[in-house]
Amino acid sequence: MWRRVVDLFTSLKLTIICLAAAMVLIFAGTLAQVHLGIHEAQQRYFQSLFVWWPPESRGFKIPVFPGGHLIGAVLLVNLIAAHLKRFRLAWRKLGIHLTHAGLIIMLAGGLFTDLFAVESHMQLASGETKNYSENARGMELAVIDVTDSDLDQVTAIPDTVLRHDRAIDHWSLPFRIVVRNFYQNSRLKMLSEAGNGARPIANQGPGAMIAVQPAPRATGVNERDVTSAAIEILPKDGGSLGTWLVSDALGARQTFSYGGRTWMIALRPARYYKPYSVTLQKFTHERYAGTDIPKDFSSRVTLIDPERSVNRDVLIYMNHPLRYRGETFYQAGFQKDDSATILQVVHNPSFIAPYVACVIVAAGLLVQFGYHLVGFSRKRKAALA
Amino acid sequence: MRLIGLEGKIDIFLPRFIFRLLCLAAIAIFASACDRSDQEIKVYRISKAPLEESAPAQQNAMPTNAASPAGRAGVARAGSTIVSTPPNWEPQPLSQMRQGSFLVRGENGAVADISLVRLGAAAGNVLDNANRWLEQLGQPPITAEELAEITQRLTTPIGEVTIVDLVGLPKDADPAKDGRIVAAIAPGSTSTLFFKMRGNADLAEAQKPDFIKWVAAVCTAQAENKSRSTAAMPVAPQDSSAPEIKWKTPEGWTEVPPSSMRYASFTVSGRDDEKIDISIVTFPGEGGSNADNVNRWRQQIGLAPLDDKEIMSMIVPMNARSTSFSTVDMAGGDSRVMAAWTRRTGRSWFFKMRGPGPLIEREKPKFFDFLRSIQFNS
Repeated sequence: MWRRVVDLFTSLKLTIICLAAAMVLIFAGTLAQVHLGIHEAQQRYFQSLFVWWPPESRGFKIPVFPGGHLIGAVLLVNLIAAHLKRFRLAWRKLGIHLTHAGLIIMLAGGLFTDLFAVESHMQLASGETKNYSENARGMELAVIDVTDSDLDQVTAIPDTVLRHDRAIDHWSLPFRIVVRNFYQNSRLKMLSEAGNGARPIANQGPGAMIAVQPAPRATGVNERDVTSAAIEILPKDGGSLGTWLVSDALGARQTFSYGGRTWMIALRPARYYKPYSVTLQKFTHERYAGTDIPKDFSSRVTLIDPERSVNRDVLIYMNHPLRYRGETFYQAGFQKDDSATILQVVHNPSFIAPYVACVIVAAGLLVQFGYHLVGFSRKRKAALA
Repeated sequence: MRLIGLEGKIDIFLPRFIFRLLCLAAIAIFASACDRSDQEIKVYRISKAPLEESAPAQQNAMPTNAASPAGRAGVARAGSTIVSTPPNWEPQPLSQMRQGSFLVRGENGAVADISLVRLGAAAGNVLDNANRWLEQLGQPPITAEELAEITQRLTTPIGEVTIVDLVGLPKDADPAKDGRIVAAIAPGSTSTLFFKMRGNADLAEAQKPDFIKWVAAVCTAQAENKSRSTAAMPVAPQDSSAPEIKWKTPEGWTEVPPSSMRYASFTVSGRDDEKIDISIVTFPGEGGSNADNVNRWRQQIGLAPLDDKEIMSMIVPMNARSTSFSTVDMAGGDSRVMAAWTRRTGRSWFFKMRGPGPLIEREKPKFFDFLRSIQFNS
């Protein structure tokens, strides 16, 4: 039994199967991007244990192929196991050991990046200051107690919860939130323009005058879903305060009162607040003469961190990101009219893993080939002598 | 202990090896399967953010003798902006959706409805909106290429505004009240403004120049509101227990609303739109080393950094009423920076004047008078 387990995990066949499965998965995932978009395809094919069918929630789903996480995890275990089984403490094996160690670090780093890295964006107009970045894809329902004059208490409910849990009962809220409708992508129309059959999905706020129509998911790289939902507020002691429409496309501020406090609700890109702020001093966008082709674009920002008494100007441009408090700010883009810069903010605890892995693999290969080269030249010398 | 007949040196470690292997696999699979942290409901407290809250900005981040905070009570609604409109535009009651609403009457009962609506940034797709309006006029949708041929661009302080002019009469519609839509879309980083005029085709044509002027005026007013609200944004608030300081503002200096990082700001104008920017900034603690700060200021005016010794030789002490300051005076190209700083009771204060060299030279005596006038309450 033990032997079978060991044989299975140390088998080269398993490596080949994993690599073949990875190739099939990459091929299928790449094709799926046409219909799903890059983000959704990544999640369904690569950031999952299994690829499921049917993809939409229809009450059941069947795993049809191993997902990226499963293939990566098995490959990692296989690599470690095979390496340990065949381990020999000898100088002539040093190159092999180093190469394998580098590959293990690279695979583990990839897995940890997938699991723990957070990518977000910070869009800043000239002179604007922000102390938060926003998720480019994920939304959140922010339920904010705005009663106090100096502080807001925010309960941020991610859109994944809105989809999966139709009723939300949280300790920070004196009421329950029931999601009556949820549209990952939608179009909003004024009722007067939506035709006779159109009905609002909300009865409070501006949503009572708006019809919401579902729309297919945005698949383009630069497209975004317009997420909308109808949420009903139910006090815990019974009754209903009404149903509100919350949407990414709805700019109107929506508030209601309950329990002697004022609450604001908004569906917005998920926010990541920081203990420091970034102010855009100047955005520079140079083009090649006579064309609209970008030559160079950079953002001069001021970083202010009261906790650490930091107040410094930083120039962020291509391949020169700002690294601060475990986050990296890359120059990612800009508004069409250069009115704002877009910085990509990446928090990746294992960002160093690929660099370390590459150095170790390179060193391993160098040692391995060097060892053989020396051996070969010695043999040749001996033969000539 | 030899459980199986494997050759090699790891035989006696085999049970432990397999146990570790299985643990590793279990951890990897468990880590993959478990929910990510971004799927959890988070609860946190933040200081008032203008994007969410139009309550007054943090007063404790302002000096007591700061300029009158006109217009800093939050982001003004687009419709509340004072923008003049043609006399024949009759104001209509505003709704929760409409931030501006007017009715224009023409001859023979012709009318046109004009509105201003603010929606989220994601609502600003021009093609989708143009096709939605065409549908309202009973017309078939158009492609992006066709749209490009019929759009006009209007450059405003908040960015480029796209204007579309669409003609069509829906079935059974009254031609006195419908037949044309002239609309403008002004996308922004946080919201999109929709200007729309819909009504009788001839009347809409006649009102189009006034409509475009109105769009431009509202966008200009928006930019002014934005700059005021941005300046008032209380991000990274300074310590609420920060001591207050008082000063005497020199003649000719205009106090302007401070930004979130500044305790106070002043400006001085010279000839040919030349301006000097004067700032007061405070931080708890040291606020960085002298060399770091001086080199940062040098970088701002295009000078190369210096080492600690060279910087120490540049610093000139200056005694004032309640404290002593360290000062530097640096010129690079056309720009010049004069800065003074002091550290007292666990807090550092920076006073900086930056602008064209000749103008700085003119204001230098006033800057020193200003430093001498500063009184610390603690």
